[in-house]
Amino acid sequence: MSLVMDAIKYLVYILVFPGFLFCFLSGLLLCGIDRKIVARMQKRVGPPVLQPFYDFFKLCGKETIVPAAASRTTFLLAPLVGLAALVVIQLFIPVFNFSAFSGVADIIVILYLLLIPALSIIMGGAASGSPYAGVGLSREMVTIISVELPLVLVLLAVGKVVGNAMGTGLCFSLTQIVAWQAEHGSLIATPSMIVAAIAMLMVIPGETGNHPFDAAEAETEICEGMLAEYSGAPLGVYKLSHAVKMLTMTSLFVALFLGGIGGGIDRMLLSWGLTGGAAGVIAVLIGIVVLFVLCAIITIISISLIHAATARLRIEQIFKYYWTVVTGLAVISLVLAWYGM
Amino acid sequence: MSIFSYQHFPVYAIMVLFLGAFLIAAIGRKAPVRHCLAVLASGASLAFMIALIQPVMLGGEIIAYWMGNRVPAGGYAIGIALEVDALGLFFGLVVTLALFASVIYSIRYMAHDDNQEQYYILLLVLIGGVLGLILSGDMFNMYIMVEIMTISAVALTAFRHKVFGALEAAFKYMVVGGIGSTCILAGVIILYAQAHTLNFAQLAALIPGNLNTATKVAFALLFIGFSTKAFIVPFHPLAADAHGAAPASISLLISGVLTKSGVYGLIRLTYVLFQTMNLGTMQFWLVFIGSVSMFVCVTMALAQHDFKRLLAFHSISQIGYVLSAVGLCTAMGISSGLYHAMNHTLFKGLLFLAAGAVLHETGTTDLDKLGGLSKKMPHTTVLFLIGAASISGIPPFNGFASKWMVYQATYMKAVESGNIGFLLVTIIALVTSTLTLASFVKVTQSVFFGQLPKEYENVKEVPFGMRLAMGILALLCVLTGLFPGLVTTYLTEPATRAVFNAGGYINAMMGSGYAESVMGANAPAAQAVNFAEVGVWSPISWLCILMIALLAICIVALSSKYDRVSENQGAKVEGKYDLFFGGERSVYSQVGGDDLFWGFKHNWRHYFGFMHELHSGVVNDYALWAVVALALALLYAMIVL
Amino acid sequence: MFKKLIEESTGKSPWLFHINAGSCNGCDIELVAVLTPRFDAERLGFKLTGSPRHADIVVVTGPVTNQSLPRVLRAISQVPEPRCIVTMGSCPQSGNVFRGSYSVAGPLSKYVHVDVDVAGCACKPEAVIDGLALATQILAEKRRAMK
Repeated sequence: MSLVMDAIKYLVYILVFPGFLFCFLSGLLLCGIDRKIVARMQKRVGPPVLQPFYDFFKLCGKETIVPAAASRTTFLLAPLVGLAALVVIQLFIPVFNFSAFSGVADIIVILYLLLIPALSIIMGGAASGSPYAGVGLSREMVTIISVELPLVLVLLAVGKVVGNAMGTGLCFSLTQIVAWQAEHGSLIATPSMIVAAIAMLMVIPGETGNHPFDAAEAETEICEGMLAEYSGAPLGVYKLSHAVKMLTMTSLFVALFLGGIGGGIDRMLLSWGLTGGAAGVIAVLIGIVVLFVLCAIITIISISLIHAATARLRIEQIFKYYWTVVTGLAVISLVLAWYGM
Repeated sequence: MSIFSYQHFPVYAIMVLFLGAFLIAAIGRKAPVRHCLAVLASGASLAFMIALIQPVMLGGEIIAYWMGNRVPAGGYAIGIALEVDALGLFFGLVVTLALFASVIYSIRYMAHDDNQEQYYILLLVLIGGVLGLILSGDMFNMYIMVEIMTISAVALTAFRHKVFGALEAAFKYMVVGGIGSTCILAGVIILYAQAHTLNFAQLAALIPGNLNTATKVAFALLFIGFSTKAFIVPFHPLAADAHGAAPASISLLISGVLTKSGVYGLIRLTYVLFQTMNLGTMQFWLVFIGSVSMFVCVTMALAQHDFKRLLAFHSISQIGYVLSAVGLCTAMGISSGLYHAMNHTLFKGLLFLAAGAVLHETGTTDLDKLGGLSKKMPHTTVLFLIGAASISGIPPFNGFASKWMVYQATYMKAVESGNIGFLLVTIIALVTSTLTLASFVKVTQSVFFGQLPKEYENVKEVPFGMRLAMGILALLCVLTGLFPGLVTTYLTEPATRAVFNAGGYINAMMGSGYAESVMGANAPAAQAVNFAEVGVWSPISWLCILMIALLAICIVALSSKYDRVSENQGAKVEGKYDLFFGGERSVYSQVGGDDLFWGFKHNWRHYFGFMHELHSGVVNDYALWAVVALALALLYAMIVL
Repeated sequence: MFKKLIEESTGKSPWLFHINAGSCNGCDIELVAVLTPRFDAERLGFKLTGSPRHADIVVVTGPVTNQSLPRVLRAISQVPEPRCIVTMGSCPQSGNVFRGSYSVAGPLSKYVHVDVDVAGCACKPEAVIDGLALATQILAEKRRAMK
């Protein structure tokens, strides 16, 4: 009986929250907020906040053309794999006090899982046979290389700080990092982590492939690169993946640096005199709302602001920027973390 | 002792290979006979190794085997000995497995070559040599086996001597490999002069307490000798040439087996024979060389545009991982290093065989000329993708499991020793992994996806025998990735214990109590090995989640209009299913592999330019590098040991 | 429900693909002007795409020269269904001042079914938005007509 209950519980996790449905709704909503904010910053009215939903459903209703030169299976399956991997990452990222699959979550696992969506789009693009896709995937891969180094350094720094505090030397478990913050306050209060957070904010648009780091999907130069041959529902899935990736990266930021808010929610509920199972459910519900608001704020800071203010960089400029400026910041944070600051 | 007793299995395993070689020479004129003999010999050797898992890996026994039962007398070990501990068996298993895959593959792959008897003879002799090296219990036999191995590897490199560059590659290999072998011989001579014995166990008891200038020189010589066999920096250009020119089934062995024999030699040398690994300077040495190999070779691989040369550089890069991990001198480090060594044989073998399949069908491995083969060779493509995902460390394949352990091991070491340098190794390893991914994306794009050139319209899938060999390796890649717990428990942990059990190694051969009597208080006790921190990565649960998520998404996708797929079927709408080409009729325009990562290379152009000048391809230069490396090693050994 | 969502959405998210068939560039910059802050067609969901595979509405400018004709037709055929074709400016409708030239193959309606014509040389952004809005309605109808 309990096995069935467990199975249902995990199925709900995967399908509803924090899995598929949650990713779908809040990812596309984040994307809509981003587009609206960028438009407002450029003194435009901008599309409705629900525009990404319209786009997605419209694409579902379109014909899907498989080019004669494409490898059919890879071409059609790649977007789905990428989306599934993103949903899985979202399952591993704790929402304050709630984590669907604790224990499995590990920073390095997440680091590698983050490669899979990018890889799926690369594979799909390569399978389409388009020369634009060839150029696009080369740029996408260089973007991955650029972003990977600072991201690794930031994650190691976080692991080191929490590990120091817990006395184990290092801590790679995301659940533990969040739990520690709930008890001792958010990490962003420490000097080394301020630097790391800034670096992470710079990493987010590169990882999601947003403007100005979207050389890989430059629609004016290379016809959207790897997506050039995609149409209909698979294209919609890629657009959805892009939106979910924004959610994933921002909620990863929240988990790494702002996990202390979870403790705040607990204390608030306690002061209201709520305990037991009901409090847990309410805490999760509040957590979801707070998480979404925080994600939106981070999206605005790290994606929309930069999008509205800058022009697209060339690929070698992206590489240079990440391996000098952002990596420099990340190294500083790691060194600070190493010496206990 | 019955002749069926497992005590005899090590010598049988070596003997069947040499016996097979002789029989092929004698009666292998006909192809079926030849193939049967080769498969039988390699299969029997593998079977003997597997049969040894029970007593050695699980029972923890160390088999000491004296040829002709000439056991040590008067405190001196004169007879020829084989000694199999878990470490040796671990490498023995890897080696014989690789041989088995190679032989199965060769049957169809080499079907159109001349002089096939010689090929199989050399193949079996090569692996006989490697296996003899790994299982040997005394230094001089080890040297002989090194020579057998090197000479046959040189001959096999030049086997397709009509291929451009094959003879040149073999010549380079012979020169630098010869320098390596000579170093080993010189080291052995010096050790013999000092300790008056050639037996490993006895040397391991006599040498560590009595280090003097001569033994330090011997150490440096042996170190460089085994380094050339492992092709680590600065001996990596050889590997590129040799792998590129040799038939794919031989590239598998050179990359998967010969490098492993070098790694085995280094582990045996540093952990057991000289027991120097508790020195920080020695750990630094290995980790430094490992990290440099890791990074230099992955960047070299990025600059290649030949499929097999690219794979060759990746081999050395992966060996860099192994050495860095092994050099940490922690249980987790060695465990992860050995795990990665095994995985490397599996996935790199698979990749080389895939390259061979491409060569077999198209006649070229030039990345700039190939493209779009996935439609023609779907099975090979899938198998290649498994190998590529494994080497790039994409979960849930085996590369991820072992690389993850390497990261954790280096990071733990940094935390424990408080030395931020080890942290740098973690970072280099992670970046190298991404660069590896980049270079396999390049291969995937320029060989299997992208546009199909006109001249390869008639390419077919490779024969079943070749796919079978690739399939075996791919299956093992997946299995070792899915069940890392089993691999660490049954294979790498016993081997790690063996590495830390120099005392047991000595006593098993020289009689119990020998180590204590010779070395007194310094006798290396079997160190307590703590595996508690070995990472628990549970891919099964992860994979279940991924599968359910994928299934859910597929159901949702199919229930919507994801199936509104239109394809080019009969009803021809002009241009609709062509590639979008800005409105033009689509023409062949594959993006070549050479400049695929321009954005990366442009920023590193000075580095790449420097590397390009350095790798001149002149054998004199490479020989000079070997001599310089030897000089540095001598200097370093003098200062720090 | 799903079908309804799709039908609803089709009218709200029209993506444009712009083909220049020998245009003098006058109409082209007017199309871009439509997307600038002053007119902001994005508030209606319009978006310029780089590939015909993504597009719903194909906007053709220029008198369709002999050289461009096969390219235009090929690009249009690569747009997935349902799709709308909008001609922008007088050139693709009538040939404008280029009518009768040895090198002009237009008007476009000789070769494909054109859904909306936006007249003017060059046409005003308001007219363009009006025409595109009309095309969007036609698009939604076409979507409804699909199974």
